[in-house]
Amino acid sequence: MSWITVFWSINLGACLTLAAFYCAVWCKQRQTWAHLLFSCSAVAAAAISAFELGMMNAQTVEQYQTLVRWVHVPTWVLTVSFVAFVRLYLRAGRRWLAWSIYGLRTLVLALNFIFPVSINFRAITDIRHFSCAGEIVSVPVGIPNPWGLLSQVSLLLLLIFSVDATISVWRRGDRRRALLVGGSMIFGAILAWHVPLVIWGVIEVPFFLGFTYTAVVAAMGYELSSDMARGARLAHELELSDKRLSLAADSADLGLWEWDLSKDEIWVSPTRRAQLGFPVSGKITFEDLISRWHPDDRDKVRQALRDAIKNGKDYDAEFRRVLSDGSVGWVAARGRVQVNKQGNPIRLLGVSMDITGRKLAALEAARQRHDLAHLARVSALGELSSSLAHELTHPITAILSNAQAAQRFLDADEVDLNEVREILNDIVTEDQRAGEVIHRLRGLLKKGEPQTHCDDVDLNEVIGDVLKLMRSDLINQNVTVDTNLAQNLPTVAGDRVQLQQVLLNLMLNACEALSNHNSSERQLLIASKSENGEVRVSVADRGGGIPEGKREQVFDRFFTTKKEGMGLGLSICRTIINAHKGEIWATNNSDRGATFHFSLPIVRSDALSTVPSEVLDGSVLTTTEVSVTRVTAPSVLLGSAATGSEAEELWVSASTALLERKQ
Amino acid sequence: MSLPPSPTVFVVDDDAAIRKAVSRLLRSAGIAVTVFESPREFLAQYDPNTPGCLVLDLAMPGFNGLQLQTVLGERGSILPIIFLSGHGDVSKSVQAMKGGAFDFLTKPVNAKNLLPAIRAAIERGAVARREQAELSEIRARLDTLTPREREVLEHVATGKLNKQVAGDLGITEATVKMHRARVIAKMKVQSVAELARLTERCGIRGTNSLKSAA
Repeated sequence: MSWITVFWSINLGACLTLAAFYCAVWCKQRQTWAHLLFSCSAVAAAAISAFELGMMNAQTVEQYQTLVRWVHVPTWVLTVSFVAFVRLYLRAGRRWLAWSIYGLRTLVLALNFIFPVSINFRAITDIRHFSCAGEIVSVPVGIPNPWGLLSQVSLLLLLIFSVDATISVWRRGDRRRALLVGGSMIFGAILAWHVPLVIWGVIEVPFFLGFTYTAVVAAMGYELSSDMARGARLAHELELSDKRLSLAADSADLGLWEWDLSKDEIWVSPTRRAQLGFPVSGKITFEDLISRWHPDDRDKVRQALRDAIKNGKDYDAEFRRVLSDGSVGWVAARGRVQVNKQGNPIRLLGVSMDITGRKLAALEAARQRHDLAHLARVSALGELSSSLAHELTHPITAILSNAQAAQRFLDADEVDLNEVREILNDIVTEDQRAGEVIHRLRGLLKKGEPQTHCDDVDLNEVIGDVLKLMRSDLINQNVTVDTNLAQNLPTVAGDRVQLQQVLLNLMLNACEALSNHNSSERQLLIASKSENGEVRVSVADRGGGIPEGKREQVFDRFFTTKKEGMGLGLSICRTIINAHKGEIWATNNSDRGATFHFSLPIVRSDALSTVPSEVLDGSVLTTTEVSVTRVTAPSVLLGSAATGSEAEELWVSASTALLERKQ
Repeated sequence: MSLPPSPTVFVVDDDAAIRKAVSRLLRSAGIAVTVFESPREFLAQYDPNTPGCLVLDLAMPGFNGLQLQTVLGERGSILPIIFLSGHGDVSKSVQAMKGGAFDFLTKPVNAKNLLPAIRAAIERGAVARREQAELSEIRARLDTLTPREREVLEHVATGKLNKQVAGDLGITEATVKMHRARVIAKMKVQSVAELARLTERCGIRGTNSLKSAA
């Protein structure tokens, strides 16, 4: 075996090997089309080397002619795929040049098969043998085809294309590639000029077109190895970064997760994975993960995730999770949806955070606030206790008299059963009435748990409840209450008992403000109306009003104008109203007295997934409310029906004006 | 003068259930009863000639029980009032009793207390009514006297002798005797002692009071 065979074979093998590598890379990363193009060109270069070996060993003119004709096929493949490769891989080279080369080269290929011999030779007359590197090689002797000039033009264009592409890569700053890839392709394009020289008989060497590509192959081999090195370095850095992230996540007790939507597979950071009781490896599906959450919160989380995926919004939820030891913790999770090029969601990346401590503190704060509100309520009811006892006296009196009447009827000679039956019915009715009084009271007295959900509350009903509760007290204090309630008031979302408490407080305060006035002036107006998406309730009195400059202060804790007040009633009212996302404020009436207003947004309870957040955040109050002192006073009327005086007209007309004056 | 209507108990209470129950209890005891929702309604419909008593709720919205008591007092009503109260309110009960209430009962009221109290009140009302009738009869007779006769009556009723009376009034003793005989006849009494008792019941003590009584 001679050196010639060895070199050509090595070149052939190197080209094929690198082609195989790049082809393998392309198989794994289908979007890297440049790699496939390089593979094609390398295979073509290998084929050209094989043709050249064949030509060197050709024994007859016919053999040589066939090989010369067919070598144009790999040459076409090499040229076309190489130019395309340069444009894709280096993102350089002029488009018109590239297309000119494609066109010209294709024309050359076509003409090559049209001419009797090839585009290079009109005829090969003989094969000359001479010794080269220890081997006898064949070179053609013939008449060059003038159309072969086209082939040379294409070669020239290729050279220009290569130089131009290299310059632009160099200018772009990618000097390593410009030198390596660009340099080697210019070198190859120059080297390819030996072909016309051989054909024209200027030099006498075997064709070595296959070697023109060797430099490019070597450059691309170097590229591949540096890519591999870079890959390894990136992998290492990624691992480090991953470790750093894990450390940070673990220190902050953060869990990282990633949900592949198409495969329904969730990756969870190892620490969190262990906490959730999942094995170290193995697939976790969404249903697996959600099974670790508190059953009451699952639907809520599902909904939040659905929303995030559907609308491409960031996902943000707080929910409870059940750990492997059965304990329940709170988690705040945030996530972001990733979409593919078509805009379809493909995965959700996120982080979850243990907020159990914060949540427990907030719950504790809420509980304290709740306890305090309860104490304040009980205290307020304490002031009403004798009046409330009176409320119970009515039905009990009726029951006793009815029962004793029945006894006497039964003792008579002729018993009127209809009468007795009617009496018993009345007794039942009155008993129910007493029960309702007790029920109302119990509602306000019981402490219960801080509510975790809201009710739909009709504020007119709340007003009615409080008026019933205060009926006897108002009579006792000689206070007349007029109401101006909006029909069909929309409901608000909230805690009925707390809202009753607010109104009770405002009314007790208003009565207090009236206690030094003549009984004819002891008038309250309670109004409700709905406007601008909220419901407003106002309690107007005809007392002394609020000193200017104190209208804000009255809601401050420990602010009081009363001898025995602690200054907590209104501050608790404000806390409750704020927790309901509402507002509470006070205004002085234009003529006399003050009006307290509160407004709550019109929301349906099912539109709120949780309690007003402040309830959990817990604007903590620290002491109980002992505020209003009661003044015993003679009775008076309750309700607009009973007044019938000019005062009523005055109030009804004044009410609208008062309510307009939100400040 | 026609026969007075039978005694009726007037129940004034703002609570419909209590009105109904109490009236039932009274009917079961054979007592006639009329109910009123408010003091105003009572005042509008009440006929002072009807005997009986008033069962009055103390605490009512607007015009309350104590205010009604005051109004009736101003009108010279002799209707006995039994107050019913939900509270054991001392100051109000004192006010009521000072205002001349017959009784003060707390709710829930037992029939054992209420019925005897009502009967006693009706009885008291009847007595008072009789006394009032007598008194008005006496006053009517007094109204028939001439001014001079009244002067004579006043002096005679205080136990003065004819001679003293004649001296005080500056008239003759015979004239005094004549006036005295006329007074005894007009007042439909048998003796001067009886005359003195009548004038005492009318509260006639001296010259001034007699004038005011006239």
